[in-house]
Amino acid sequence: MRSIRTRLDACALLLASTGVGLAAIPLGCSDGLKAPIAAAHDGVAPLRGGTLHLAHYSDVRNLDPHGQYDAISLQAITLMFDGLVDLDHDSRVVPKLAERWDVEDGGLLYRFVLRQGVVMHDGGELTADDVKRSLERALHPATPNATRAFFEGIVGFDAYTSGKAEHLDGVTVEGRYVVTVRLKQPDAAFLSIMAIPSARPVCATAGNRYSRSWLPCGAGPFKLEPGGWQRGSSLRVVRHDRYFDPAASYLDAVEWTYLMQPMPQRFRFEDGALDMMMDPLAVDYARFVGDGRWKGLVVPLADNTIHGESMNTRMPPFDNVEIRRAVAAAIDRDAYIVNRENMTTASQLLPRPMPGYDPTWSCASHDEAAALEHMRRAGFAFDPSTGKGGWPRPIPYLVDARSTQEAAAQVLQQQLARIGLRLDIRSVSWPAYLAIGQRIDGTPMAPEGNQADYPDPSAFFEMFTTTSIDPEASANTAFYSNPTYDALVARARHEMDPAARHELYHRANDILCDEVPWAFTWAQRDVVVHQGYVRGFEAHPIWPFDVRRVWLDRGDQALEHALGGGLR
Amino acid sequence: MRRLLRRLGASLFVIWAVVSLTFVVSNIVPGDPARLVAGAQARPADVAHIRQQLGLDRPALSQYVLFWKRLVHVGPGEIAKGDAQHESCAVVLPLGESAVHVDFGSSFQLGRPVVDLVSERLPRTFALALAGLLLQLLFGVATGVLAAWRKGSRLDRLLVGTSLLGISAPTFLIALLLQYVLAYHLRWLPLDGFGKTLGQHALCMVLPALTLGIYGGAFYTRLVRDEMAVLLKQDWVRTAQAKGAAPAGILLRHALRNALLPLVTSAGLDFGALMGGAVVTEQVFRWPGLGQLSVTALFNRDGPIIVACVIVSAVAIVVSNLLVDLVYARLDPRVRVPAA
Repeated sequence: MRSIRTRLDACALLLASTGVGLAAIPLGCSDGLKAPIAAAHDGVAPLRGGTLHLAHYSDVRNLDPHGQYDAISLQAITLMFDGLVDLDHDSRVVPKLAERWDVEDGGLLYRFVLRQGVVMHDGGELTADDVKRSLERALHPATPNATRAFFEGIVGFDAYTSGKAEHLDGVTVEGRYVVTVRLKQPDAAFLSIMAIPSARPVCATAGNRYSRSWLPCGAGPFKLEPGGWQRGSSLRVVRHDRYFDPAASYLDAVEWTYLMQPMPQRFRFEDGALDMMMDPLAVDYARFVGDGRWKGLVVPLADNTIHGESMNTRMPPFDNVEIRRAVAAAIDRDAYIVNRENMTTASQLLPRPMPGYDPTWSCASHDEAAALEHMRRAGFAFDPSTGKGGWPRPIPYLVDARSTQEAAAQVLQQQLARIGLRLDIRSVSWPAYLAIGQRIDGTPMAPEGNQADYPDPSAFFEMFTTTSIDPEASANTAFYSNPTYDALVARARHEMDPAARHELYHRANDILCDEVPWAFTWAQRDVVVHQGYVRGFEAHPIWPFDVRRVWLDRGDQALEHALGGGLR
Repeated sequence: MRRLLRRLGASLFVIWAVVSLTFVVSNIVPGDPARLVAGAQARPADVAHIRQQLGLDRPALSQYVLFWKRLVHVGPGEIAKGDAQHESCAVVLPLGESAVHVDFGSSFQLGRPVVDLVSERLPRTFALALAGLLLQLLFGVATGVLAAWRKGSRLDRLLVGTSLLGISAPTFLIALLLQYVLAYHLRWLPLDGFGKTLGQHALCMVLPALTLGIYGGAFYTRLVRDEMAVLLKQDWVRTAQAKGAAPAGILLRHALRNALLPLVTSAGLDFGALMGGAVVTEQVFRWPGLGQLSVTALFNRDGPIIVACVIVSAVAIVVSNLLVDLVYARLDPRVRVPAA
């Protein structure tokens, strides 16, 4: 399960974690940028070879796709492990290790036919047995898998995950290259879920039980170099020469250095020691964008995380729906997005890259008069000219102290003060923010976000269902409960007809717009800056930083023309 | 001997108290480690599953008792692969068929035995602490002696002024300045990192050690200068001068030797603190020591790592104090004589 934490402003991160942020301003932030290193050739034919050097200020915590992965791990996991299916750049499910699939019994049975001759990193051929063993490993009670519940629709899930059954009954091997998955009910999101890392086959060396000491081994286009993972320091993956699709990628290797502070990252990047830089400091971002020489080399990634003001429907004043409506109407989203590098305005639950996104589904837009009218209906009329009325007490508003939220909170505070709602901003650490914000009596209001784990509307709509409520660790942070909404979302999950499903979600969206458990505000995207010789990079809507199609055109490296030079 | 035993007993009490306090604080401060492992948007069932796997579904008291039972225990002499009961242990004292084990548990986030993480990083922190302290003492003693020798002169004012700058500037500022000038502009040294060979480790250690050296050295300059300034006015210094002793001999053999007591006390405490991890310096220079580990663990509420780092830090300070006591007795015979 990926963290949806707002991308840290790196200056703030440094300030908070090391105290370096202040010094970054006089030192790292005052000198000019070097010119980008240009591509060696004008042509467009991809070249094969070279090592892509990347860095991150955090560390990779795990490389087992069935364990606890996060956004940083995911970069490497998507290179080393292929699934039966994958997601293309339009978020559509496409064949990968399975060359095709059939949906039978009205959506209850999925029959996957594997490609023949797929060689895994340990030299073994991928078979249906590997698929079943891997799924059972991922869902085993001893595996620390935080996405296990995504697979609860598979027949036998409960018995297997509770340890009552030795095997997962719903997954059946029907031959060397055919495996079927039987579901309890039709599930329109199932194929998308099969693309996530938890469903990806791992080598036989992984066995059928999770082990902390196992080193990653899968069927992806890159494999771990022996000794290539220096924990807490670096990771190097090299091309899997026996990958089933030799034209899938061009690089010889990808190398990450972890725990590198943003300033040294920029120094190295400008020198060409790093080829791409993820999430530059806000001040550096402004400089890259403002420098014409870097035009076209600053690439925004997909804005697939939706953010909103979560209002706890069990706590005053937000137990009153009119107050929630007032908040939604009072927010001027254009003014709210304090960091245009990472924020785009949004006024509905689904972010733009998500299948099912419909621009006509927008909820409330900025209308201060309407907001004041909602306040009046709530019984807390407010007169902006005298400042009298409104909710009588300050409303605690919880923010993560090291994020964009903190800056945006001050804008929101001013906007809501105009309708008589005074926010008392409480900045806390990320762990405290999660713990308090997800408790039923934790906070009346907090900014929240949700990122797509798989490209399906259900990944967003189900967050507001009653079953997502937990008194201590709730995914439904508004603690919103509406049986009509629950029924619509459940029906949509099982509805296999796309048009009918779209209509069900449309109705569910209307309920959210009307009852406003969240006031949707912005979508989050990260930014990548790359050198001129880095070619072929294209942002993926789901995978956070996909470099599978990247190639290097650097004068000081021996590269081969991929199309004419044969494979190495 | 009795005194040493008494100090050891007190030290063990201090360690127990610090660890217990860490446990209490870890349980009081808001933050659910299971949620942090599972991710912010994980479903409640998955968070509960992770919580149960981490053993966090047990009452806090039971976790506390279990921790002490596991911390030092007797187990098999060799830990077999797949031995779930002892997979996070390290053998510290073989006893024939069995052995004394140390077990800090497993990291919530990294899933690895904490004892492995600590033993990987402890030598790196030790090396950096030692190098930093040596540079501190080298800078501090050299400039302190010079300043005391020329007290009131321009040189004294320059050294005192510079030391004031060194004390006032936080380590992160010194670190960034050094990084910017020596690594980015002049390219003499690596920007950060640890390297792969012994030579690279040494080269990578220069900047962090220099940072610690400059910051702490400024303090020692003041300490040595002030101590020496008082000592140089003593009768026995005047006597030595009257007897025709060389100025260097007076400074180093007579005055500096007498100034060593407070110097050793401070150095001992500093070394203990540095062993807990030079948090900022390690973070800026990507030096993979205990400081970097503990910062990450704090942000992730990774209890087993936090507790292990606290134990290492507490033990280092306690041991440093004991060593200082022993060195004291060597340096000053009066310490060896119990009070009447």
